[in-house]
Amino acid sequence: MQLRGVSKNFGETDALVTTDLSIEAGSFVSIVGPSGCGKSTLFNIVSGLLAPSTGSVVLGGVDVTGSARHVGYMLQKDLLVPWRTVVGNITLGANLRGGATPSDRHDAVAMATKYGLGEFLDHYPAALSGGMRQRVAFMRTLASRHDVLLLDEPFGALDAQTRFAMQEWLLEVWHDTGRTVLFITHDVDEALFLSDRVLVMSPRPGRVVDDITVALGRPRSLDTLTQPHFMELKQQVLRHLHHGGEVR
Amino acid sequence: MSREKRRVIFGPIMSVVVLFVVWHLIVVLGNVAPYIAPRPLDALASIRDNWHHLWPLLLATFRETLFGFLAGATLGIALGVWLAKAAFTRRVIYPLLVVSQAIPVIALAPPLVLLLGFNLAPKIVVVAWVVFFPVTVNVLDGLAGVDGDYLTLARSYGASNWRTFWVIEAPASLSNLFTGLKIGATYAVTGAIIGELAASSGTSLAMFQHAQSAQLDAAGVYGTTLVMTALGIAWFAAVVLVEFFTMPWKRRATARRKRTRP
Repeated sequence: MQLRGVSKNFGETDALVTTDLSIEAGSFVSIVGPSGCGKSTLFNIVSGLLAPSTGSVVLGGVDVTGSARHVGYMLQKDLLVPWRTVVGNITLGANLRGGATPSDRHDAVAMATKYGLGEFLDHYPAALSGGMRQRVAFMRTLASRHDVLLLDEPFGALDAQTRFAMQEWLLEVWHDTGRTVLFITHDVDEALFLSDRVLVMSPRPGRVVDDITVALGRPRSLDTLTQPHFMELKQQVLRHLHHGGEVR
Repeated sequence: MSREKRRVIFGPIMSVVVLFVVWHLIVVLGNVAPYIAPRPLDALASIRDNWHHLWPLLLATFRETLFGFLAGATLGIALGVWLAKAAFTRRVIYPLLVVSQAIPVIALAPPLVLLLGFNLAPKIVVVAWVVFFPVTVNVLDGLAGVDGDYLTLARSYGASNWRTFWVIEAPASLSNLFTGLKIGATYAVTGAIIGELAASSGTSLAMFQHAQSAQLDAAGVYGTTLVMTALGIAWFAAVVLVEFFTMPWKRRATARRKRTRP
């Protein structure tokens, strides 16, 4: 996936200055930065919900600038529909595109069962915990069969324990499915724990100020969080976020 | 029977019993003359005695409310959806809808009788007239209240407006639709009775009660009012029942049948 000279301004405000970005297929890339740094603008451009002021978005060699349905998109709000069961919610995308086929449903059941939702296939969302609901929302994003998944703070509303369990679960699913993941978060630990690469963004104007490769082995576990290299990287990111990158 | 089910069934029965007891006590302790207000049991007895008159008239009123309710609900839903989707048309039409409801229903019936005659038609129109408005307003509110993030999600899947409506917006507005239908259902009988009064064709619940009143048959008058009320309650209950089965996710943790197996 590539962004070529992409920028966006709303009137006088530069939401995102001209940005070039190349993301390797199958990698996990996080974006951290304070509010207003253009993370969501970047996501909306990649997903095609927003047209960039300049530049183009290229997916697998194809220019997809400004057109939707090329990537999977998931938000902090799980956006499950209360009147559909877990399986019904996973196949929602297929329904929205014209109707879920038996094979769509079969795939949804197989996937949900494989990743710990087997007990809940016929449950309505209201009967599920926050973590379970986010799993269903992620399954729905996966079911769209897109190669690129945009996850916008998907675990932001969960408590710390659930959150860590969800991160491990996400890595497991990502490892199995080999999708490219772009992940927005405020949580530096989360970004480093999950990613191959962390992009640090800064506001006014929105831009990428650092591009950090996370050279930590996989699979990652609780121990990863206390490795010296993890600490170094965390310090590097935090400096950007709190002191504009200057070393004190 | 579960504790919850017992409450659902016995709650309304209790409230009717309490109402009748209070009514009885007021009449007895207040020494109210029987030609002004009968005791509840006397009113019930008059229903039993007049049943052979009441039953066919009740059926006629039922028919008026049925057709009127269906017509009003259909019109209400269609208008609600249309106006929700067409912003400019809404600005033009909405004031007219309010005007339609500002006309006193009782003043609406006589011109309708002149237009449509003494048959079923004017009564159906009056019923539909009072039913459609709460349905339209609630459907409009429901569709306007759909969370914009769901629409963005639908767009990110490349859904057409038509699919988005059926898969997201329509089911999301069901609660509002049923609110409108419940209000409409309780109004329906009032509309039918007003239609019957205006048409004054002799064979109707309204005119039967009018005759009872002329004969100073207080027990009969109250009894007929109870019959009309019961019809209104039955309509309300019917809508609640449909709502209950239409929206299982409001009361259940899982879909009824285990349709999907790993």
